[in-house]
Amino acid sequence: MGKFWSILFLLVPILGVGLFVWAPAAGYWLPRDISTHGHQIDHLFYFVLWLTGVVFAVTEGVLFWFLWKYDANSNREPVKYTHGSHNLEVVWTILPAATLLFIAIYQMNAWADVKMRIPKGLDKKPTVEVTARQFEWRLRYPGPDGKLGTPDDIHHVNDLHVPLDEEVMVQLKSMDVLHDFFLPHLRIKQDAVPGMQIPVWFRATEPGTYDLVCAELCGWGHYKMKGRLTVEPRARFDQWLRELAAAQETTQEPVAEEE
Amino acid sequence: MVRADDHQLKLVANRALQSRIRAEQKSAPKPTRVRTKLLAGRTPRTVAGAWCASLALLLITSGCSPQHGKPDFRVELEDFFAKNRLGPDDFRITGREEDESDKEGKQANREKLQFIATAQEAAFGTPDKPFLFAEVGLRSDDPRWRALEPEERKKRLDLKKIELAAGAPGGDQDGKQRGLFRQHCAHCHGVTGDGAGPTAAFLNPYPRDYRQGVFKFKSTERGAKPTIADLKRTLIEGIPGTAMPSFMLLPNDEIEALVEYVRYLGIRGEFERDLASGLLAQDEDIPKTGAELLENYLNRIVEGWAEAETKIVRPPEPPPANTPEELHASEQKGRALFFDNKIGCAKCHGPMALGDANDGAAEKERLFDDWNKDKTAENAGFWLLPKIELKPRNLRLGIYRGGRRPIDLYRRIHAGIPGGPMPVVGTEQGGQKGSLEPEQIWHIVNYVRSLPYEAMSRPHAERATALLKERN
Repeated sequence: MGKFWSILFLLVPILGVGLFVWAPAAGYWLPRDISTHGHQIDHLFYFVLWLTGVVFAVTEGVLFWFLWKYDANSNREPVKYTHGSHNLEVVWTILPAATLLFIAIYQMNAWADVKMRIPKGLDKKPTVEVTARQFEWRLRYPGPDGKLGTPDDIHHVNDLHVPLDEEVMVQLKSMDVLHDFFLPHLRIKQDAVPGMQIPVWFRATEPGTYDLVCAELCGWGHYKMKGRLTVEPRARFDQWLRELAAAQETTQEPVAEEE
Repeated sequence: MVRADDHQLKLVANRALQSRIRAEQKSAPKPTRVRTKLLAGRTPRTVAGAWCASLALLLITSGCSPQHGKPDFRVELEDFFAKNRLGPDDFRITGREEDESDKEGKQANREKLQFIATAQEAAFGTPDKPFLFAEVGLRSDDPRWRALEPEERKKRLDLKKIELAAGAPGGDQDGKQRGLFRQHCAHCHGVTGDGAGPTAAFLNPYPRDYRQGVFKFKSTERGAKPTIADLKRTLIEGIPGTAMPSFMLLPNDEIEALVEYVRYLGIRGEFERDLASGLLAQDEDIPKTGAELLENYLNRIVEGWAEAETKIVRPPEPPPANTPEELHASEQKGRALFFDNKIGCAKCHGPMALGDANDGAAEKERLFDDWNKDKTAENAGFWLLPKIELKPRNLRLGIYRGGRRPIDLYRRIHAGIPGGPMPVVGTEQGGQKGSLEPEQIWHIVNYVRSLPYEAMSRPHAERATALLKERN
């Protein structure tokens, strides 16, 4: 066999770690975070990545070492057999269990911050109602009266606009099956469950256009159930809403139709 | 080879065996390379190398696909008729033995069927390589296109856009997406636009069959085709309440390419139906020249699409409804018209506008789309998709398939919905006078728009209030 296979096994941690060193520089990394709470989630991600990465490298290194040292072609020592070690088994059960327990408790604050601590009074003032449907995102803005479900609501599809630097409240519903409201740049991910109305809130800190994708398999069109999130200053957002509302009230056909 | 140590020796009680083991240890030769049983004589390194090489070879060769060479079938109409006039002996479609009755009639039909198939391919090409006669469409970078008058240009399809939407899905060398129709539309609407693609059977309502030439949600009068803007609007907004999604996020040029391809399939489909009904049902002769084919079958269809722009329903200004009182008054007038038996909205939409008027009714009173109407249990095997009922719209949901703007609702009421039982009630331009004036239609529009926000018990409450007033 030879040391050849040991080297081959050593390549796994080397290439694996190397990939993670190269990827951020090459642009294959987390999308830009434009939210106020996203840093907590990214922090958890890095924590788990480093923890598992170090354990991975150490384990693979030990594997390589044993393959190298006890290679049959060059090792003349007789085989030693063992009947196991109770102490070792206790250690390698307790340590991972403790680590997992630590992670479970460590992340609770981040979860509560994103999913449970609604800013005061915000759930009475929805910015938009997003209804997921196979295979698009139907939007309903409350209109000038601020209430959903009244005749001045503004209906739209797929093209979600939100104001910049404000707490945005999304009431998430589903018209048919499970979908998932995923905003990668805001680190927001929430399943849309049929029959439920789920509040989702965030604050976007940078203007621009970002992705909205579905993250729960919902049928043949799940892969292309994309929307577009546009974050813009409040004045432009209001102007856009007014234009939509006016277009929704069209009663006359414009005479010159330019294309 | 036995390799033992003291531990193992201790376990073996038999002294003779112990001495044999010790003797073997002394004379043990150098450890040799481990050999696998399966491939004797080959080291694991060679075996691994062989696997890697075969995997690499497999991956490389799987990327190659055979090139299907097919002759390019682009001929102008006159050339086609001059060069490709097929004789009767070329028209045999089946090789079966047939009964001898009416041999001439059957041969004539076979000629006509073959002509229809050939004319389709000659006039429109294939899904991979679309083609159009110069009288029907041109590429917009063709010098002949630039030489046309704007009026003539409007009549023609843009072949460049159609080519963008045609073909197999994928990108071309510039990274531009191609094959858009097959990528986005064909699985429901079918490759020929027949509304019977693989996923169509699971849908209610069925996807649009472009070949009928009937489009439900448009801005034009009932018998007219949709405009380009109508088709574009359908693509961008989707049709809520159906499986038609919104393609708002596609770039504008891709949406326009898809719209053009839909028109192409519509013209192609109607051409085929007209040829079939003319040649087979009405027993006309096969056209002898290209001009005859164009004049008798194709021109009418192309002109129908071209004149859609002139048939747009342009409603007058609605009656004033700027204050809540004015709006309420208009809604009440609309309500009276809605439930008026002579106009008959409630006859289908139901006494509470829930669309339930025909629930539980006998078969012959149920409503169907025109393309579902003629399906029966006897001829069911003839159709691609089974018969499904058309339910009148539940107007209290606030879901409007043709658009929720007041002008969209006006057009639905004015021109009705072609392909189905929703009738024309407005006055057509230069056509029949309808049963309602534009102002009355606007009142109905206001009432319909108020329905999702009207408590269903209100009509009863009004009657109850009236009763209480009488009593007191």
